[in-house]
Amino acid sequence: MMKIKVTVNGLEYERDVAEHRTLLHFIRDDLGLSGTKEGCGMGECGACTVFLNGKVVNACLVLAAEADGASIETIEGQAGSFGLSDIQKAFEKNHAVQCGFCTPGMVMSVKELLRHNGKPTPEAIKEAIEGNFCRCTGYTQIIEAVLDLTGQGDLKGELKHV
Amino acid sequence: MLYEFRYRAPKTASEMIRLLDDHRDDGKILAGGTDLLPNIRDGNIRPAVVIDAKKIQSADSIAWSASEGLVMGNAVTINDVLRCREARELFPVLCDCARQLASHQIRNRATVAGNVVNASPCADMAPALLCLDAFAVLESASGTRQVPFSEFFTGVKHTVLKAGEFLEKIIIPASAAGARGYYLKLKRIAGHDLGIIGVLMVRRNNGIRFGVSSAAPTPVLVDGMLDKDGVDAAIVKVLAAIKPIDDIRASGEYRAFMASTYIRRLWQEIK
Repeated sequence: MMKIKVTVNGLEYERDVAEHRTLLHFIRDDLGLSGTKEGCGMGECGACTVFLNGKVVNACLVLAAEADGASIETIEGQAGSFGLSDIQKAFEKNHAVQCGFCTPGMVMSVKELLRHNGKPTPEAIKEAIEGNFCRCTGYTQIIEAVLDLTGQGDLKGELKHV
Repeated sequence: MLYEFRYRAPKTASEMIRLLDDHRDDGKILAGGTDLLPNIRDGNIRPAVVIDAKKIQSADSIAWSASEGLVMGNAVTINDVLRCREARELFPVLCDCARQLASHQIRNRATVAGNVVNASPCADMAPALLCLDAFAVLESASGTRQVPFSEFFTGVKHTVLKAGEFLEKIIIPASAAGARGYYLKLKRIAGHDLGIIGVLMVRRNNGIRFGVSSAAPTPVLVDGMLDKDGVDAAIVKVLAAIKPIDDIRASGEYRAFMASTYIRRLWQEIK
């Protein structure tokens, strides 16, 4: 066991963790923040995507011990007191959510993309979410949500729905 | 993770060496964790102690100088390379390979050092490091040694690294700056996937060289080619140097066919 100190969604936590515990299990089971999902547990599906010190990572591929002193952001930190974040609203409006399992990770990846690129092309959006699997939407609605949010709604008609 | 291990995070290289020496048989170095942790989870590797190399001071530094070249500490991630202006401007070939490695989240975590130490035949950074004459700086209790990547890989998942030794940094010499080329990587899907075959063609001065991934027990360097030799001779030379196998992703025959197709495309493209 070791003691770690982390900031999650702006709140500080100090906890004892087993040295082999993943950051994902720490977030979900120790902190009770179950918005971050476990899909494959192997870094393939992106359901566990969170921000670690300002960059998106697969929480299943990080040890909680490695995150000692880090700042973490999860889906629970997105909505403010005035409701959903802009990305969440765009997902809702464009039907980018079906079962919702991939959504927390998708929202994180899209947030990182928009920090660096205010007007991403459909190609750039696809690249940003290539590490996030969605088995419901066929991705098109997710790409449309990002286009809509970035004032490129006119490009939506060009995408093929599958 | 059901399997239990201890975690150590040395702050200095000497502390790292001491830990590695104490755990020659049961220790495993953790860099980005994108290969190690799935392997532990699957039970393929069962280390008693996982030694994190990322907390060593300045391990995450990537710096360019005309005297030394591009120096990358062992905690430098793939996206750190892509965010480094000098890497993008002077070593576009390195960045082209970096862009095609896995997904964005993995690139934020996976390190260049881990990619080569893991020594998978499909390591995407290896073709660039081979073609750019990069070398690894290895540290152990018995001192420091430098190994060029052309001598670094010894087999599938095997390198020249000895027990008690670790890769401290990777250096691309300044003389390789400005080399031009592209990396073509064949995958089963457009997104995040391991390569079926990868071919990097690089032009430096007047010479042409190829770095090939997923085509032999180790990544392969084929150099010493000139424009006047022609593309057909280049294909013959590369095919003679690789030994593609049949596996779950493709047949050896298909890999060889696609390697020659990619060489032909690259030869036309990179003038």
